[in-house]
Amino acid sequence: MTAEERSVQRDRMRFTKNSLSSNLAIIGILFNVFYFVSLYKSDVGTYYYTILIGGSIVYNLIFMLAVFLASEGVKNYKQSYSYLLLVIGALQIARIFIIPSQAHAALTLVNGAEVPVMEDAQFIRIVVYLAVSAACLILSALVNLYKCRELSTHMKSLETQTA
Amino acid sequence: MATLSLQHIDKIYDNNVQAVYDFNLDVKDGELIVLVGPSGCGKSTTLRMVAGLEDISKGKLLLDGKDITAAPAKDRDMAMVFQNYALYGHMTIYENMAFSLTLRKENPNVIHKKVLAAAEILGLTSQLNKKPAQLSGGQRQRVAMGRSIVRNPKVFLFDEPLSNLDAKLRGATRREILLLHKRLQATMLYVTHDQTEALTLADRIVCMSMGHVQQVGTPLELYDSPDNIFVASFIGLPPMNFFDVQVREGKLVGANFQVALSDKEKQILRAYEGKTITLGVRPENIVEGPDVKVSVFSNENLGMNTLVHGYIGGQRGLRISAKLKGWANYKAGDTASFSFTRKHFFDKETTNAIRGDK
Repeated sequence: MTAEERSVQRDRMRFTKNSLSSNLAIIGILFNVFYFVSLYKSDVGTYYYTILIGGSIVYNLIFMLAVFLASEGVKNYKQSYSYLLLVIGALQIARIFIIPSQAHAALTLVNGAEVPVMEDAQFIRIVVYLAVSAACLILSALVNLYKCRELSTHMKSLETQTA
Repeated sequence: MATLSLQHIDKIYDNNVQAVYDFNLDVKDGELIVLVGPSGCGKSTTLRMVAGLEDISKGKLLLDGKDITAAPAKDRDMAMVFQNYALYGHMTIYENMAFSLTLRKENPNVIHKKVLAAAEILGLTSQLNKKPAQLSGGQRQRVAMGRSIVRNPKVFLFDEPLSNLDAKLRGATRREILLLHKRLQATMLYVTHDQTEALTLADRIVCMSMGHVQQVGTPLELYDSPDNIFVASFIGLPPMNFFDVQVREGKLVGANFQVALSDKEKQILRAYEGKTITLGVRPENIVEGPDVKVSVFSNENLGMNTLVHGYIGGQRGLRISAKLKGWANYKAGDTASFSFTRKHFFDKETTNAIRGDK
């Protein structure tokens, strides 16, 4: 890419939205939905009937709201929303070690028989969902940080030219 | 840019209503043609046929010599600006202007350059991040024009683009269109029912009525030498005065008035001796003089001019409007005395102009 093309590309950011970051954040929400649907459809007796699952449901609601808000923020090159997405992305990784890991290691009684709460296949699927969700959110944040810096540099150079 | 040729074009709708009859026109490269006429005269239908939004029932349409009569609208390389702007409300001005190029999957950097160039021409650079709802009517219409400019089409089509604007904005936007035409040197077809727009913008005007072309010519030709009574009455504000008069021994004799003819006028009307013709006089061709006595009923001072309305020969006589230079102070009931500095003659049967040389 030539210097001129790069300059035009930067200039375009003045008028176009950061749809890459925004879309990545939305994909992050989507994979989180896959995660909780996969988890909540489990039929393993009363294992999940705890305060933890209640907290998980509330967190998922807050997660979707916050990430949607952040997706709109990064769409308009708001740098602060990148930090929010980085934190939420890290939490998605941390979540692998809370419900899924515990459930994968646990056994429960169903119809008098002892069965694993979470089969390997479901565990792998859930880990992938959370990992992809986290990756999307972190990538969204990093792309936005990069673009914000580029745009800021470009705006400063424009101001210098005008002055 | 491009030349456009409309040859013997008819438009007949499915219900057998004919909207356009035998329309012929050759548009030169870089020419601005204005189609003017009253509502329902077929001017917008003609434009839509050129754009490919209506089928052509009969005839041929050539663009740069290539027959595009049956070509779909998207393949005609023409851009149309509508009366209602047709902007996407949820998109920014930048996105609206870039939209057609984005659909064609052009390089985003190229689109960016074209949009910025168009915005610069139209003075929209500072508005590019706004939504259409945040702009005035005039600015929105400029955006609609910008959307056409970025496409760099062969022909620009305007369908009454100023009709939604108030009078002041209409004047300003009209001047912008004229400057745009001068700058782009583009072939443009412009539809309006406003004769002021037609006279100020056009290289040539096509005056239409009831689906028929009444006259094609420069604005001056239509104003100064109208081919028939329709054109004479449609072009000019206030409209031309018409009187039935008899040609008699070097004079025109009307109800309650008579005016002498010059030698040249006598020559023109030689074949009409003893016959009744229609005399047309533009209000601005009337001055204070001895020939016609008028009973005034209204006096409108416009600053530079005064519009005087009255009746020839008392209250139930022929109505006449005069546009006098300067400030006049007639009162209702006063008697004014006028002369005609320029006369137009029309055959009473055919309504065509009598020019003597034809």
